[in-house]
Amino acid sequence: MKMSLDEVLMVTALGSYVLAALALLVYFFSREEWLQHVGAPLAILGCVAQFAQLVARYELTGVWPLLNLYGSLSLFAAMAVAIYIGFAFRYKAWWAGGFVVGLAAIFLAYGVTWNEGTMPPVPSLQSYWAKIHVPLVVSSYAAFLVSFVFSCAYLMKYYAERAFAREVAFAAEGGATVAAAAAGNPLAQWMQTLPTLAQLDTIVYRAVAIGLPLISIGIITGAMWAKESWGAYWQWDPKETAALFSWIVYLAYMHLHTRHSWRGLRTNWVSVLGFLSILFCYFGVNIWISGLHSYKL
Amino acid sequence: MAARVKDLYGDFVRTFGNVLFAVCLFVVWGLLTLVGVVVDQGKDAPAYFASYAAPIARAILRLQFDNVYHSPWYVGTIGLILLSLTVCTFKRVIPARLPPLHPVKVDKIPLHAVYDVAGDAAGVRRKVAAWFAERGWQVRDRVFDGVEWTFADKHNWARRGVLIAHLGFVIIAAGTTIYWARGFSGETAVFSGQAVDVPETHAVIRLDDFHYTIQPIMTKSGIVYQPIDYVSHVTVTGKDAVPRKEVVRVNHPIDVDGTLYYQSSYGFGMRFVVTHDGRTVPGLPGRVLFEGESFDIPATARSVTYERFVPTVDKQSGLPSADPRVNDPAVALGATENGRSLGDALFALGSSVDLGEGWRVVPERYVLYSGFQYRYDPGIPLVGIGAFVLLGGLIVSFYFLPARLYVRVDEDGPGRSRVGMAATTVKGYDVFSNEFERLVVRLKEVTEP
Ligand code: HEM
Repeated sequence: MKMSLDEVLMVTALGSYVLAALALLVYFFSREEWLQHVGAPLAILGCVAQFAQLVARYELTGVWPLLNLYGSLSLFAAMAVAIYIGFAFRYKAWWAGGFVVGLAAIFLAYGVTWNEGTMPPVPSLQSYWAKIHVPLVVSSYAAFLVSFVFSCAYLMKYYAERAFAREVAFAAEGGATVAAAAAGNPLAQWMQTLPTLAQLDTIVYRAVAIGLPLISIGIITGAMWAKESWGAYWQWDPKETAALFSWIVYLAYMHLHTRHSWRGLRTNWVSVLGFLSILFCYFGVNIWISGLHSYKL
Repeated sequence: MAARVKDLYGDFVRTFGNVLFAVCLFVVWGLLTLVGVVVDQGKDAPAYFASYAAPIARAILRLQFDNVYHSPWYVGTIGLILLSLTVCTFKRVIPARLPPLHPVKVDKIPLHAVYDVAGDAAGVRRKVAAWFAERGWQVRDRVFDGVEWTFADKHNWARRGVLIAHLGFVIIAAGTTIYWARGFSGETAVFSGQAVDVPETHAVIRLDDFHYTIQPIMTKSGIVYQPIDYVSHVTVTGKDAVPRKEVVRVNHPIDVDGTLYYQSSYGFGMRFVVTHDGRTVPGLPGRVLFEGESFDIPATARSVTYERFVPTVDKQSGLPSADPRVNDPAVALGATENGRSLGDALFALGSSVDLGEGWRVVPERYVLYSGFQYRYDPGIPLVGIGAFVLLGGLIVSFYFLPARLYVRVDEDGPGRSRVGMAATTVKGYDVFSNEFERLVVRLKEVTEP
C-alpha cells in the first residue's frame, strides 16, 4: 500500500511521540541522562512532522485542515508539544515530557480515528475567521495541558513533602524532602531531582499566562466571527459558554495567585480543575450537547 | 448612628475589596454559566418535564435556570463583580500601585544577596546605579538615617496592567448593557418572490431568489450531504425608500440603516390546492404554508397539517432519504378531526389526497423561503474596544513584571565595600528568583574592579 505524504508524516509524528513519551517516562523515574537525549529529539521530530503534516494536508486538499475534530486535535497535540518544548528548554523540564508527549500522542491517535477524509467546509465555516479563531483556541487548550501536567507534578510533590514532614522530626532547612532525602529515604532522594514547589508553581503560572490571553483572544475572535455568521457576537451557545466557564476558572486562578497564602496548593488544584473544564469544553460539549457549534446552518 | 454607618461602610469596603470575595463571585458566576451549558435554554415548560424528573424540572423553572443568562442571579452576580471590581480598584489596586521608596532589612527579604567587593562605597554605588540605568531600570538614590540607598525599578508602568484589565471588563459590561437598553434582534422568513416588512425597522426585504448548494461526499462512514453555500438575492428598501439589490450569504451579512441581516435558515413552503367534488375551492388555504401550519376544511371538523417537506423519497423503501436535495419531493401531511389525530402519511407532490366527503387536497408545488436574523446592536464598538483593552491588560499583567531592587553599599574596611541587595515584585518572590540570581551574578562581575 502506498502512503501519501501526509500519511507518512502522520505515522512519523505518532511513532516519534510514542517513542519519545516512553523514553522520557523512563527518564522521569530513572534519571538516566541518555534517555533525555533520546526522548527530547524524538519529541521535537514528532512536533515538526505534525506541523509539516498539517501544511501538507492543506497543500494536498486545499481545505483548511483544522475544521473538524481530527484537524483540531492534530493542532492541539502539536501545539502542546511545541509549547512544552519551549518550557523544557527554558526550565530544564524534560522530566515532564513523558506525560505531555504521552497525552499528545493519545489525543492525536484519538483524532486520527475521526479522520473522515477531505470534506469541503459547511458555509458557516467558510470564513477567514476560521483561520484565526480555531488555532488560537486550540493553542490555549494546549498551553493549559502543559500547565495541567506541571500542576500534577506540583501536587504530587506537595503531598509527598507533607508525608515526609510527618516522618522527619523537625522541619529542616530546605524543607521536609531535603531532610528525608538526607535521612536516606529513596523516594525523597528521587523527589529532590524535581524542581522545588516554588519553581513548579512558577512554571504553572507561566503556562497559564500563555493560555489565558490566548483563550481570551480566542473567545474575542470567536465573538467577531459569530457576529459575522450568526448575527450576534454572543449567543450563549453551549460551546462558547463552556469556554467562558474555563476562562472564569483561569481568571480565578490568576486572582488567587496574586495572594501569597493561596499561591501553591490551592492555585494548582484550580489549574487542574481548569484543564478538566477545558476537556469538557473540547469533548463534552461536542459529544453530549448540541448547539450552534455542531456546525449546522 | 454615624459611627454605625461608618462601620458598615468599612465592612462593605473590606469585603468587596477583597480578592477572595472576587474569587467567590467568580465561582458563583462560573457555576451559573455551567448551568446554562448543561440545562437546555429557552425551552417551554413541558420540554423540561419531559427531560427531567418533576421536582428537578420544577426547580429549573422556579430558579429561572431555563433562561439563566437573563435571570436575576446571573445579572446580579455580574453586577456584584462590577461593584467589587470598582471598590477593589479604588481601595486596593490604585493605592498599591506605586509604593513609596523606603529602606528594608535586606536579609529579611527572601530574595536577597550580600557580597563583598574591592573599591570604595561611593565608586561601587556609582557602578551599580550606572549598570541598572543602562539596562532600562529606573534608578533613584535616597538617604534614610544617613544610609544611602539605590532603588531600581523595572516595568513600573506595568503596574497599571491590572487597572487596564479591569477597565476592559467594565467597558465590555457597558457595551452589553447598551444592547439591552437600545438594541433589538429578531428573525423573519421570506418566500421567494415575496416581501416582508421588518417590524422594528420598517425595512422591506423582498426575496428575489434563493438557492443552495449541497454536495454529496463519500466518507469512510458513508455518504454525507455537505452544505456548501446558501445564497439569498434580495431587494431591500430602507429609510431612504430607495430599493437596492443585495446578496446575503452565510458570513456575509448586509447592513440596512445600521441593522445587520444574516442568512440563518431556509426551508420549503407549500402551496396546496383544495377541491370539493372535483371543483377547486378558491382561497383555501389562501397562501403558501410553512411547515407545521394547518388549515381547516370547511363544513367538516377536519383540519390538515403540512408537517414536513421531504426533498427526496427513497424509491425502494418509499421512506424519506437523507438526501436534502430536491429529487423526488413529497410532503408529510397530518389530519385531525375535532383535534384528534387521524394519522399522517407521505404524499408525492402533485398527488391528490382524499379527505372524505368529496374533499381532496393536492400539495401542488413548493416555494423556497429564506430565513434571516436581524440585529441592531449599538454596543458592539464598545464591546470590541473593551475586549482589546482587556487583552492589553492581560498581556501587560502577565508579561511585564514590575520589580524593585533595594541596594545599599556600605564601607567594609579600607578599600572594600559590602553590597546588600534585595528584590520585591508585585507577584511575590518566586517568579523573580531565577532572574534575581542572574542579576546578582552579573552585578558581581560588574562591580569587581
Ligand atoms: C470581582 C471583581 C474583581 C476584583 C475584586 C478584582 C481584584 C483584583 C486584585 C486585587 C488584583 C491584584 C492586584 C495586585 O495585588 O496586584 C487583580 C488582578 C487582576 N485582575 Fe482582577 N478583580 C476582579 C475582576 C476581574 C476581572 C473580571 C478581570 C478580567 C476580566 C480581572 C483581571 C485581572 C488581571 C488580569 C489581574 C492581574 C493578575 C496578575 O497580575 O497575575 N479582574 N484583580
